[in-house]
Amino acid sequence: MMTLTDIIGFTTDENISGRLHDLSHSNDVEYIVLERENTLRKRLRVTGDKGTDCAIALSRDQKLEDGCVLHLDDNRAIVLRMAQEHWLSVKPADSAAAVELGYFAGNLHWRVRFDGDIMLIAIEGPIDFYLGRLQPYLDDGRARVLSDE
Amino acid sequence: MKSEKIFKHTSPARVGIGGPVGSGKTALIEKLIPTLEARGIEVAVVTNDLVTKEDAERLKRSGLIDPDRVRAVETGACPHTAIREDPTLNIQAADDLAAEFPSVGIIIIESGGDNLASTFSLDLVDYWLFVIDTAGGDDIPRKKGPGIIRSDLLVINKIDLAPLVGSDLELMEKDANEVRGDRPMVMTNCATGEGIVAIVNQLSRDVLFDA
Ligand SMILES: Nc1nc2c(ncn2[C@@H]2O[C@H](COP(=O)(O)OP(=O)(O)OP(=O)(O)O)[C@@H](O)[C@H]2O)c(=O)[nH]1
Ligand SMILES: [Mg+2]
Repeated sequence: MMTLTDIIGFTTDENISGRLHDLSHSNDVEYIVLERENTLRKRLRVTGDKGTDCAIALSRDQKLEDGCVLHLDDNRAIVLRMAQEHWLSVKPADSAAAVELGYFAGNLHWRVRFDGDIMLIAIEGPIDFYLGRLQPYLDDGRARVLSDE
Repeated sequence: MKSEKIFKHTSPARVGIGGPVGSGKTALIEKLIPTLEARGIEVAVVTNDLVTKEDAERLKRSGLIDPDRVRAVETGACPHTAIREDPTLNIQAADDLAAEFPSVGIIIIESGGDNLASTFSLDLVDYWLFVIDTAGGDDIPRKKGPGIIRSDLLVINKIDLAPLVGSDLELMEKDANEVRGDRPMVMTNCATGEGIVAIVNQLSRDVLFDA
């Protein structure tokens, strides 16, 4: 187990990016990939993409962010990456359906954003869960799914 | 102690315990305290109740923990608001405990009893348990509430009562595994302490890092 208790800096920092570049040539940069939600945690046990068992324990005022560097020495670096987010695009059939869908998504505490008259729902967990809940809307045509990327 | 090094630089682990009314959240804490302390991990607790301090008073009187290390948050309205939408009061209580008792290794936050939809904000806790019980019916895991699906550790409590209320433990375990994938689950009897060591082992691995 490797204990990581500090955010040393970011991949873009001047004094860090060069060293990371050199380490990447010898394939010595390891990435920890986390879903957005999990970056809120201050303590967690995760495995890096090279198999290192990592115990992260930050102070409460530090925050895991995409590109933060958790370890850096002459032989290796450990960098955090945020997993790509997935959004389900749903288009309501008319304004009545839109109002209803908005209430529904809010009631389920779904994280959403909007693109004109399209609702984008953040997929946090199995997509079937979301599709299942939306099924009545999809069945009677009040809404349809445009994409899930 | 092995983990001293880690705690010195950072803050205590914050662990949430949620679950329906009466499922055994406080009973679980009463069993966790001595087991954690026996491993050299000092405990502090924040309880949430609607308009009373019942659970905090119960823990303070228990003799298991220094009463000063127990804080009560009165949530007033929906208990889930205080652990998810606006966890400020709970964060404050945990910050206070961490500042006053620097040797504490884990702060346990008990949510007020709620429904199967309650989840903890990861702003507030690093890790959370969801406690259901066999007496609530063996169809509970199948009902797929967010608490059951998304908690870091699912606890199925009151296994001693399963035969009395006609709940099928194996079915509960199978259904829970089906909706949770490879996330862990522990069966407990908080009256006797059965299963508590498995929970402490999981906490040690995932957030205390002393194992
Ligand atoms: N037989 C049995 N009884 C239990 C067990 N765990 C808890 N109880 C009992 O169940 C009742 C409720 O337990 P609590 O610990 O108060 O439950 P809670 O989840 O904290 O309840 P709220 O905070 O009010 O939501 C108490 O009478 C406990 O003694 C168990 O494993 N077996
Ligand atoms: Mg309680």
